[in-house]
Amino acid sequence: MMPNLLDVKIGQKVRITKIADKNQTTLKLFSLGILVGDEIEITSKALFGCPLAIKHGEGNFFALRKDHAALIEVETIA
Amino acid sequence: MQTILLVGSPNSGKSTIFNLLSGGQRKVSNYSGITVDASTGALRSNKLEGEAPIQIVDLPGIYNLHPSTLDEGVTVDSLIGSNSRFSEYHQVAVVLDIQRLETSLALAIQLKELVGEKLLVLVNKVDEQEFFNEEHRVKLEKALGSKVLSLSALNEDQVELDKFIRKNIEGERLKVKGKILATKRSLEYFGKGSEEAVEVVDSEKVVLENIKHYQEKARQILGTVYNQSDRIRSQKTHKIDKVLIHPLWGTLIFCAIFYLLFYSIYALAAPAMDFVDGSFGLLADTVAAYLPEGHLKSLIVDGIIAGVGGVIIFLPQIMILFFLLSILEQSGYISRAAFLTDRVMGFFGLNGKAFLPYLSGFACSIPAIMSARTIPNKKERMATILTIPMITCSARLPVYILLVGTFVPSYTVAGIFNTQALSFFFLYFLGTFFALLTAKLFRLSFYRGQTSSFFIDLPHYQRPRLKTALKQMWRKAQTFLKKAGTIILGLSIIIWCLSTFPTLDAEKTVGLSDEVVASRSLENSALGRIGKSFEPVLKPIGMDWKMGVGVLVAFGARELFVSTLGTIYALGDVDEESKSLRERLKAEISPITGKPVFSLAVAWSLLIFFVFSLQCTATWAIIKKETGSWKYPIYAFLYMGALGYSGAYAAYQMLI
Repeated sequence: MMPNLLDVKIGQKVRITKIADKNQTTLKLFSLGILVGDEIEITSKALFGCPLAIKHGEGNFFALRKDHAALIEVETIA
Repeated sequence: MQTILLVGSPNSGKSTIFNLLSGGQRKVSNYSGITVDASTGALRSNKLEGEAPIQIVDLPGIYNLHPSTLDEGVTVDSLIGSNSRFSEYHQVAVVLDIQRLETSLALAIQLKELVGEKLLVLVNKVDEQEFFNEEHRVKLEKALGSKVLSLSALNEDQVELDKFIRKNIEGERLKVKGKILATKRSLEYFGKGSEEAVEVVDSEKVVLENIKHYQEKARQILGTVYNQSDRIRSQKTHKIDKVLIHPLWGTLIFCAIFYLLFYSIYALAAPAMDFVDGSFGLLADTVAAYLPEGHLKSLIVDGIIAGVGGVIIFLPQIMILFFLLSILEQSGYISRAAFLTDRVMGFFGLNGKAFLPYLSGFACSIPAIMSARTIPNKKERMATILTIPMITCSARLPVYILLVGTFVPSYTVAGIFNTQALSFFFLYFLGTFFALLTAKLFRLSFYRGQTSSFFIDLPHYQRPRLKTALKQMWRKAQTFLKKAGTIILGLSIIIWCLSTFPTLDAEKTVGLSDEVVASRSLENSALGRIGKSFEPVLKPIGMDWKMGVGVLVAFGARELFVSTLGTIYALGDVDEESKSLRERLKAEISPITGKPVFSLAVAWSLLIFFVFSLQCTATWAIIKKETGSWKYPIYAFLYMGALGYSGAYAAYQMLI
């Protein structure tokens, strides 16, 4: 199974390989311009590991909860 | 009159542009979801000779034309002409956030298809990304086929912006082309009369593909505009975030920031407060020296000066609170605070987005309840709306400061914490904690359901502008003073009349000391009789009838508690020298026990009552408006009143 965003350490750059179908989440991700193939990096996790702060592309910063992060499958890039 | 709509992604600066062009006073901040309703304003330049009248409409932010919250619905409705407030408009200006150009551009492309050549493009925040130059602007203009202006609304590029709009606005009424795709589920966000412009699709997939399509198109266009070397600068934000949203340091800093916020409201204001207090004392003495004894003198000195002055001394606190909040809001920190507290919000069954309405609840419940519109899920929204009023708003500030400052002894504990500041912090905490707890209970009962998604933009950090902070502070000061000069003044006069008339018969006062006469006259007055009649209810919570009257009047607005006590105690005071309300409260002796009426227990009983109870008619009205039924403000009033009374009872019985 591919790792999802929850398996990724802070500071590691990854590429999105799949976004699971879940309407509200997918809608929001797409609206923020986050698509399959994009590069993202986890910049921080709040206390107890949730929510996660993410940097997307050149300079989009946003945060989401664990259960949404689990829907995003990723692969590590060197 | 020509009308132009301002549309753009959240936090792209629409309201800043609106204020700049119209001289309006819309609240602006550096986080998403501040603007939740439409506002219209005339351009400032309309007043210039020979200029055609143009009005501008500020709208809530949207990412695309598929609304998923009520506030987004307002914008989409306005675009398709089903907003009843302005069914006609002539032009659309889309605001692009240069820090998030891709997503903003996707919206612009979608709008372009909807309104065609009637679209103007404003690239905002160019001061933050200096690499964006004229060449980029021209390329973007070409690729989009719309006129593009780059500007910095915060740097007040007003003249150029105004000219740009005037040059490009065209006369005819705008008619949208094509239809907006919507799923059945999202129809609740559209208003009446929107049916014509909406095409209902069965599958969410269609909508998703549509959004993706525009995002991809935006990337294509951006690829032709940007060169390889053009990079958005984001290192500053990235670096600051390493500390501010760090799981440990971030959390500690969060606590420190909010403790310092409350501490400064308390500590910084003290000298200013003493000054205002002293000035009113001097004013009362001066007026008293010139007026002959009698009702007129009493009305002015004991009614108006003691009542209104008692409230105005809290002006410094109000100003400091809003100044500091504005600095925090502008910096971009607020979204980080939402991030850090999301876990807590989630635990109480709320969306992390509820943090923002709760936070604005510290200023005032009314805008806070309105901003709950950004919460997509109806059940979460209801739970948020019905608990917000327990968040300590700025109207409670005067009551807290009066009672804490007078009755909580001030000393230092654990080396750094001041007891009064801690009490203050505790009151804020108590209200917030119970708001969350009640929200949780609601989410487990009436508004049961899954906690919906939490996505939040973390905007780039930005240097707060002193001018913006001072403006916000001044605006709040004006509102406060206006209230003092109108409602509070009026009520102080009424309270004075009610507590003076009917007067005691002269025969009954023969041979009695001045103090006894003063207190008997008060008890004999209309207000005294009303107060006495519900003294039995007040006894278990340690209050006497005077406080009871204060609490009763405070149902109009909480500050009235302070002005009412100011008037009542001034009347009961026979000393020639005018004293501050604090000194009078401390000196009040019960005729029955011979002990001071106010004790720590009484003060806390009052404080706790004020933490919970919903004493604000304006809040009742906004709850009715946002929920659509009077049922809800009544529920809220009853449960908060019950909490307030039992809390006050517990506090009094524990401390007595």
